[in-house]
Amino acid sequence: MSSGIAIEGTVLECLRNATFRVELTNGHQVLAHISGKMRKNRIRVLPFDRVLVELSPYDLTRGRISFRYRN
Amino acid sequence: MQSAEITRVSERHWHALDDDQVVGRGEVWRRPDGRSFLSIDAWHGTVFDRLAGAMLPTLPKPLYTVVDEDDLDLLSQWERLGFGPRRREWELVVPTGDFASAAEVTIGPAEAGPLWELDSSIRAEIDATVGWHNMPAEVFGAHDPSRYTVAAVGDRCVGLVRVAPIPRRPRIGLIAVLSAHRRRGIGRALLAAVLGAAHRAGAPFAGAEVNQANTAALALFESFGARRESSNLELVLR
Repeated sequence: MSSGIAIEGTVLECLRNATFRVELTNGHQVLAHISGKMRKNRIRVLPFDRVLVELSPYDLTRGRISFRYRN
Repeated sequence: MQSAEITRVSERHWHALDDDQVVGRGEVWRRPDGRSFLSIDAWHGTVFDRLAGAMLPTLPKPLYTVVDEDDLDLLSQWERLGFGPRRREWELVVPTGDFASAAEVTIGPAEAGPLWELDSSIRAEIDATVGWHNMPAEVFGAHDPSRYTVAAVGDRCVGLVRVAPIPRRPRIGLIAVLSAHRRRGIGRALLAAVLGAAHRAGAPFAGAEVNQANTAALALFESFGARRESSNLELVLR
């Protein structure tokens, strides 16, 4: 059983519809939402935050922010 | 996605598997106030619905979840399942700075003994009035005195504020004053103290979350120039 690809990135921009543009460490940019667990813990994401992004197995330009690192 | 297999992997967790890959996750957790909250993360609405279809019949109602009000897709998915809004919390952005306060109180760092005595008194007041179900989850736990600033009248602590030390935007998690000492500017003095400290530490803004129905707290924050950045909806399925 695989949980898919997770990769670090930096939040570039907060967009409409609770979406974030994130630049991954490999240079690609993805659009990402935050995970339910982060919403539960009321963790806010801001531009320049370092985050862990799980990529969608169906569309590698989409992701889900599952963790925010302490800068 | 139609073929995704839903598996309950533990008491609180469900997975949606497609071709041996996790394509969705569901979780339920119980808050200290006894309420059960759900979260579902899925890449497609179909998988979201299938996870919900597996989870909801097994869980006692009422069930709750939290959604960013701007996340219209997720909001509509929960509404399709019958969840409806229970309350709204505004996410506030508060400018930091040196603010004056006229309250006759001593503001300073917290010591564990008096802090927990005050914490217990405030919790008892909340239990006896609005109840914990009206408070955000983060009010519970995090017993670290270094995160608190207290207000004292004489030698008695009568108010507290807790700040999560996030460098770029400190988060004001809780501000409370004993009922017998309200309307004397003590909340304002506490807020002024932590906003001043954040300013001196180089943070231009602090963040806070305030229940829309808590008009006194909203007025307090907005008197410091807070603006409403976004909102979270707490949804309930009864």
